[in-house]
Amino acid sequence: MSDEYEFEEEEFNTEFNGRTVWRILSQTFPHWPWVVGFLVCITVVAGMDSYFTFLSARIIDEGILAQDVPRLTQLSMTYGILTVLQAGAVFGFIYLAGVLGHRVRYDMRKKLFAKLQDLSLSYFDRTPVGWIMSRVTSDVDRMAELVTWGLLDVTWGLMNIGTALVFMAIINLQLALIVFAMVPILFVVALFFRRRIIRQFRQARKMNSKITGAFNENITGVRVIKALTREERNLEEFKGLSSQMYDASFKAAWLSALFLPSVQFVSSVTIGVIVLFSVGQVEIGGLTVGGLQAFVSYVTFMLWPIQEMARVFAEMQLAIASAERTFSLMDSVVEVKDKPDAHPVEAIKGEIVFDNVVFYYEEDKPVLRDFNLTVQSGETIALVGPTGAGKSTIINLLCRFYEPKKGRILIDGVDYTDMTLHSIHSRIGMVLQTPHLFSGTIRENIRYGRLDATDEQVEQAAAVAGATEFIMALDKGFDEQVGEGGVLLSVGQKQLLSLARAILADPAIFIMDEATSSVDTLTEALIQRGMDEIMRDRTSFVIAHRLSTIKRADRILVIDAGQIAEMGTHAELIRQQGHYYNLYTKQFRTERERTLLDTAGDFAAR
Amino acid sequence: MAVVTGFDLKGAVSDNRVASIWKLATGYRNVYAWATFAMGLAAVFKALTYLLLRYFVDNVLIGGQLTQTVFIIALGFVGLALLEGSFTFFSRSSAARVAENLARNLRDYVYDHLMRLTYTYHDKSQTGELIQRSTSDVDAVRRFFSDQAIMAGRIVLLFVVNFIALVYLYWPLALASVVVVPIVVVLSVYFFGRVSDAYEHFQDQEAVLSTTLQENLSGIRVVKAFARHDYETDKFEGDNWEQFERGKRLLSLHSVFWPISDILCGIQLVGGFFLGALLAINGTITVGTYLAYAGMVIWLIWPMRNLGRLIVDMSVGLVSLQRVLDLIRVDKEDLETGSHAPAEGVAGGIRVENLTFWYEEGHPVLQDISFEVKPGEVVALLGSTGSGKSSLVNLLPRFYDYQEGHIYLDGVEITEYPRHYLRKQIGIVEQEPFLFSRTIRENIAFGVGRHVTDEEVHAAARAAALHDVIESFPEGYNTLVGERGVTLSGGQKQRVAVARTLLKDPRILILDDATSSVDTETESAIREALGRLMEQRTTFIIAHRIQSVMIADLILVMDKGRIVQRGTHDELMQVDGIYRRIYSMQARIETDLEKELQGV
Repeated sequence: MSDEYEFEEEEFNTEFNGRTVWRILSQTFPHWPWVVGFLVCITVVAGMDSYFTFLSARIIDEGILAQDVPRLTQLSMTYGILTVLQAGAVFGFIYLAGVLGHRVRYDMRKKLFAKLQDLSLSYFDRTPVGWIMSRVTSDVDRMAELVTWGLLDVTWGLMNIGTALVFMAIINLQLALIVFAMVPILFVVALFFRRRIIRQFRQARKMNSKITGAFNENITGVRVIKALTREERNLEEFKGLSSQMYDASFKAAWLSALFLPSVQFVSSVTIGVIVLFSVGQVEIGGLTVGGLQAFVSYVTFMLWPIQEMARVFAEMQLAIASAERTFSLMDSVVEVKDKPDAHPVEAIKGEIVFDNVVFYYEEDKPVLRDFNLTVQSGETIALVGPTGAGKSTIINLLCRFYEPKKGRILIDGVDYTDMTLHSIHSRIGMVLQTPHLFSGTIRENIRYGRLDATDEQVEQAAAVAGATEFIMALDKGFDEQVGEGGVLLSVGQKQLLSLARAILADPAIFIMDEATSSVDTLTEALIQRGMDEIMRDRTSFVIAHRLSTIKRADRILVIDAGQIAEMGTHAELIRQQGHYYNLYTKQFRTERERTLLDTAGDFAAR
Repeated sequence: MAVVTGFDLKGAVSDNRVASIWKLATGYRNVYAWATFAMGLAAVFKALTYLLLRYFVDNVLIGGQLTQTVFIIALGFVGLALLEGSFTFFSRSSAARVAENLARNLRDYVYDHLMRLTYTYHDKSQTGELIQRSTSDVDAVRRFFSDQAIMAGRIVLLFVVNFIALVYLYWPLALASVVVVPIVVVLSVYFFGRVSDAYEHFQDQEAVLSTTLQENLSGIRVVKAFARHDYETDKFEGDNWEQFERGKRLLSLHSVFWPISDILCGIQLVGGFFLGALLAINGTITVGTYLAYAGMVIWLIWPMRNLGRLIVDMSVGLVSLQRVLDLIRVDKEDLETGSHAPAEGVAGGIRVENLTFWYEEGHPVLQDISFEVKPGEVVALLGSTGSGKSSLVNLLPRFYDYQEGHIYLDGVEITEYPRHYLRKQIGIVEQEPFLFSRTIRENIAFGVGRHVTDEEVHAAARAAALHDVIESFPEGYNTLVGERGVTLSGGQKQRVAVARTLLKDPRILILDDATSSVDTETESAIREALGRLMEQRTTFIIAHRIQSVMIADLILVMDKGRIVQRGTHDELMQVDGIYRRIYSMQARIETDLEKELQGV
C-alpha cells in the first residue's frame, strides 16, 4: 500500500494535456442535459449574487438617500423574491452536479470492471492488485470530482467575477478598470499558494503512508523487536519519520494560514485605492454612496471565486495524472481473445495434444521449448519437477490463460484457438494451490461452480468432496460465512470447498495444483478421496506434491527446464533410477518424518 | 515553541472526552489560548474596517469635509486589513503548530507504547485495528486542533465581535438581525448529524465495493477458469449501483439543506436591510451606520451555517481521541525494573520447578514442569503440535508470566531480572523468522545495540553459511529484504536469523528446528550454521524431527503440557516408551523405502 503511493507520486504529471482533459470531460457527454442543467443553475446563482450587491447599492441610493420608502419596499421585495428563486437554483446545481458526479463514477467503474474481466491473465501477472484498485477507486473519484464540482466551481467563479465586473462598469467605469487590473494579480497570487500547498500536502501524505508502513511492520514484528530489545532504538528511528511528517504537515498548514490573509491583503489595497479615487468621483457625481458600498462588497467577496478557481486549477494536475493512469488501463490490449470465426463447442471429450508448443513470458527467456504431449481422454497426468521448471505454464496454456507463441494445442483434435474462450473455460474445473474463496456463505462458494445448481446438488457435491463433516460442525452449516478470502477457514477446509466447487461444475477437464503446505492427516485423506472421485473418467492434470497423488496418476511427467525430462508410470520411472527416483525417495522421507511426531501424541494417549 | 517533554500522555486518559482534550493539551494550552485570542482580534479589526467605512461615508462623502484625510482613511483600510490578516495568520499557524506537535507526540507515544505492550495484548489484538488507531485516529485529533476547534472559535468570535459592534451602532437593529441565528444553528447541527450518518452509510458501501473488486482481482484465475465474467459483472454492477443510490441519497440531503438555510439567511438579511434603511430614512441612524451595518451583518449570519458541520466533526474527533487513549490506557510491560542484573552477564544454568502456566484460567497449557539444565547444555523438547513446547520457551524471556512454580536462572528467579536484561541474554531463532524491510546488513545487525563493523557482519553471515548467497545479489549486503527487494527463501530467512543471533551473542539460545521445507544442500548448511551457533550456549531446541534431539544432553518428551519422558538419547533408548517407539519408526522409514522401491 505504501509502495503504491510512492509509485503514484513519482508518476505525477506536471504537463497540461488538453486531450486528456477533453477525454475526462467526454465522460459526461452521455448525460449532457445534466451538465447543461447544473451549468445553467450555477450561472443563475452567480449572476444573482452579483445582482444582490447591486440591489443593495440601489437600496442605499434610491431608497435611503432619496428618502423614498415605497421604492425601498419595492426593492426589498424584489430582493426577497430573488432570494427564494436563487435557492431554487442552488437546489438545482447541488442536486444535478452531485448526482451527475456519482453517475460518472458509476459509469467509469462499470466500464473499468468490464474491461478488467476481459483482460488476459498476463495483465494481472504484471500489474499489482493494489495498483488496479487505486485506478478504480481514488482515480475515478478524482476525475468525477473534476468534471462536476471542478467544472462547477470554475463556471461559478468566472460568472461571478464576470457579472460583478459588468455591474461595476455600470456603476463606474474608471473604478471598475482598477478592479479589472487587480483580478489577474489575485489569481496569480492564489495559484502560487495553491500549488505550493498541494505540493506540501502530497509530501505529508507520502510521509503518512511511510508512517503507516512503519506501524504495520513493527506491530507485525513486535515479538522480534521485544526479543531483540530494540524498543528504544526503534523509537529513535520512528521519531525521525514523525519529525519529517511534522515538517511537511506543518509547512502545508503554515502556507494555508498565510494564503487567505495574503490574497485578502491584495484586495484591501484595491479597496484603499478605490476609496482614494472615490472622493473625486462622488464630487463630480460619477459615484454614489451606494455605488461605493457595492465596490467594497464586490472586491471583498471576489476572494472566494478566485481562491476556488485556483484550487481547481491546482488540483486539475492531479486529476489529469489520475486520468492518464486510468485511461491506460482502459486502453490495455486484451491479449487472449476469441478469433472472429471462433465457434462454441458443446461437449469436450478431453483428448489433448500439445503440438510443438513454444512459450515465453519474456522474449529472451523461453519457458517451454518444442513441448509435445498427447493425453487420452480420461487420463490422469501428474506434473512433477522443481519450481520454475514450467509446470504452471503448462497448466496456464492448457486453460488458455495464455496461448502458445508457436505450435498448437488441440482439444479433441481441434486447435483450441478455433473455439470460444467461454466454451473452453466452462468445461474446465480447477483447484488452485492456495484456494481462493469469495466472501459469502459456504453454499454460495460451492455454487460458484454451477450457478443454477439446487441446494441438494450443492450438498451432494460437498459430500463427494468429503467436506460435509466439517461444514455440519459449523454453527450455521452451509450458510456459515467464510469471511473475506475465506480467512475464517483453515487451508485444508478451503481446499475441500474448492474441490466441491469443481465437482459441482462437472468439468470435462480437471486441473489441480496441490498445496505444498501441510494439512492435518484426516483432512488430507478427505482431500485425497475427493480427488479420486473427481478424477475418475476425466482428463486430469495435477501439479503434484504428495506421493500418494503422484503414484495414482496414469502417467507422470517430470518437467525440467521447460521440457519433459522423464515420462512414464510410477513403476517405470522408479526403475529408471533418474530424476524421479531421487525426487521420490527424498519426498518419502520428508513425508514420513512429518507425521512422526503427531504419532507421538497417539502413543502417549494409549 | 519547544517540543513539550515530561508530560506523560497517560495522564490524559479520562472517561470525560472534554477533560481528555484539556489534559492532552498540557503545555500547549497557553499557545492555543493566544491563538484563539488572536482570532478574536482579527474579528475586531474586521469590524473596525466597517466602522472606518462608516466614518468615511458620514464625514467625508456626505459631510463633504476634510478631503485631505482621505489618504489617511485609505491607508487605514489597508492597515486594518494587514492587522486582520496578520492576526488570522498568527492564529491559524499557531493552532496548526500546536496540532502538529500534539499529533507528533501522540504518534511517538503510541508507537513506543505499542512496542511495549505485552505479548498477551498483541495476541488478542488485530493489526489493522491498531494501525487505524495509531494513524487515522491520531489524524482526527490533529484536525480537531488545527482546523475544527479554531474554525468553530472563529465563527463564534466573529459573531460575538460583530454583534457587539452592531449593538454599539444601534441595539434594536442588532437584536432584530439575529432572530434567525438560533434556527440556523439548530438546523445545521441536526442536518450535519444526519449527513454524517448518510456519509457513513455511503462509505460502508464504498468498502463493500472495493472488497468485491479486490476479491475479483485476486481470484481472477478462478473467475476465468469457471468462465464467470457475467456473474461477476452482475455482482459488481449491483454493488456499484447501490453505491450510486446511496450517493444520491447523501446528495438529496445536501440539496435540501443548503437552499433552505439560504432562504432563511437571505430573508433575515433583506429584513435587516429593510429595517435599517427605514431607520436611516427617518434619521435614527446615519447612512454610514447603515453601510457599516450592511457589511457586518453578513459576518454574523452566513458563517453560522457551517457551525453544525464543525460541531459534528469535533465530536467525531473526540471519539477518535478516546480510541487512542483507550490504547494508551493499557498497561505496558515493565522492561527495566528488577533487583538482579549482574554486569558480567549470566552463566546460563536454568532450573524449572513445578511450573504451571495458562493463557486462560482453567485451561493450563503447562502443568507441573520440573527440570534442570547446566550452563552450555542442550535441551531438546519433543512433542506434537500443541504439546506445550513453544509455551515453555516463551516463558524464559518473560514474554508471558507463569502462574505457579519457579524458573531460576543461575539460581535467581527470573522475575527478579529486568525483562530487558533477560532478553539480552537470550537469542531466538524461529521457524519462519520475521525480517524487516531493510537491507540484509541492517537485518543482521538488528539485535545489537552498538555500532557494528562490516567485518563483524560478514563474519556472522559466513558462520551462518549466508555470505555467498548475499554476495550473489547485485547489491550485496545492501539488498533490501521483502516486497521492494529480494524475496528470501525460508531457509535463507532462517540463516539471516542465525547470523543476527550470532552477532547478538546471547548466553541462552532458543531454536525452533524446522528444516522440512528446505532442499538437501541448504539443509546441511543450516545444520552446520546451527551447530556453530549452539557452541558454548545453553540451548533449547524445539524439535520437529528426531535427528536433532540425539545430541541433546536432556530430552524432554512432552504431551498435553506435561513431561512424559526425560533423559538422554541413550537413556531413553533403554526403556520402552514413546521415545523409543518414535525412534524405531524413524529407523523404519529407510527399510520401508527399500521395500517400496523393491515392490515396483
